[in-house]
Amino acid sequence: MRCEQVRQKLDAFAANELAAGVREEVKNHLAACDACRQALARQRELAALLRGMPAPRVPEDFAARLMSAARERLSTRGQPATAPASPWRWWTSVPVPMRLAGAAVLAISLSLGALMGRDVARGAAAAPSASAQADPTAVYNLGFLADAPSGSLAEAYLTLASAPAEEGR
Amino acid sequence: MTTPHERRPTPSDAELMLATAAGNMGAFEQLVFRYQAAAWNAAYRFLGDAAEAEDIAQQAFLNILQAAERYEPSASFRTYLYRVVTRLCIDRSRKKQPVYTDDLSARATPGSSPADAAERGERDDAVRAALARLPDRQRMAVVLRYYEGLSGPEIAAAMGASVKAIERLLARARSGLEQDLADFLGK
Repeated sequence: MRCEQVRQKLDAFAANELAAGVREEVKNHLAACDACRQALARQRELAALLRGMPAPRVPEDFAARLMSAARERLSTRGQPATAPASPWRWWTSVPVPMRLAGAAVLAISLSLGALMGRDVARGAAAAPSASAQADPTAVYNLGFLADAPSGSLAEAYLTLASAPAEEGR
Repeated sequence: MTTPHERRPTPSDAELMLATAAGNMGAFEQLVFRYQAAAWNAAYRFLGDAAEAEDIAQQAFLNILQAAERYEPSASFRTYLYRVVTRLCIDRSRKKQPVYTDDLSARATPGSSPADAAERGERDDAVRAALARLPDRQRMAVVLRYYEGLSGPEIAAAMGASVKAIERLLARARSGLEQDLADFLGK
């Protein structure tokens, strides 16, 4: 057994929890390894330091407060065995016939929704939108710019306003 | 008064849990009296704050009450309780780092000198600070091993890990604590 393995087992060794064979291996290693013997001494010292900390005191009325909270919870939720703790617990607490009926209603609703959505999508695909068809020059009354000289600011504006309609086609 | 470890209590924890699942609140109350200190102390040692400890311990028992029907008598109630407390503590710690705000224990030991009391106070503060610096799982493993007295397999069951993983966790925790508490070791 290597030093690292022995160090990991020092807590269990000190608490006499190791199986006989493993304990014997650790003992043999400790007999031959000064560094691991020192590690065991430090483990014991640290354990004593930690356990020397004063024990906290549970507040005297803790149990009474807890029982009051428990009774309050039961009174608002019913018996402990049947109180649903989560959506999944609620679902599993519903009788099987009701679960099947609920699942069927959900499936039918989703199917209808999908069919209706498909019809709407088909209609939209068949008829391009008015905005895509519209000529911005006509929509925004920009006809008066049609005669603008080449290279003028008015011509550039007209080109820019027409661009989305061109791309949409 | 006897503790659960001195001799097997009657009725057993498993019997009380079965009665709790059937709606017997008196049975649940007996479990609370048996294990309130275990849940509260573990949470307090881990979180370092009495109000937080109370909140966690109460939540642990309420969760157990709510899930009483799913309890399997083959599992030790004590380990089951520590598993619930451990999960709640680590979740709480992820949201909020522990702040060791108060010390409910009596520092002044009758008959001790002011100098002794001051030295003990300094040492206790150093231990609390060193524990607070440990990563969550290392700190919980230390609490369960050194304060709650759980064995390696019990800690493994409470923390949902293998015994070997707990050995490694404790070895790393010891290494960190030895460094932080070097001034108080080897005296």
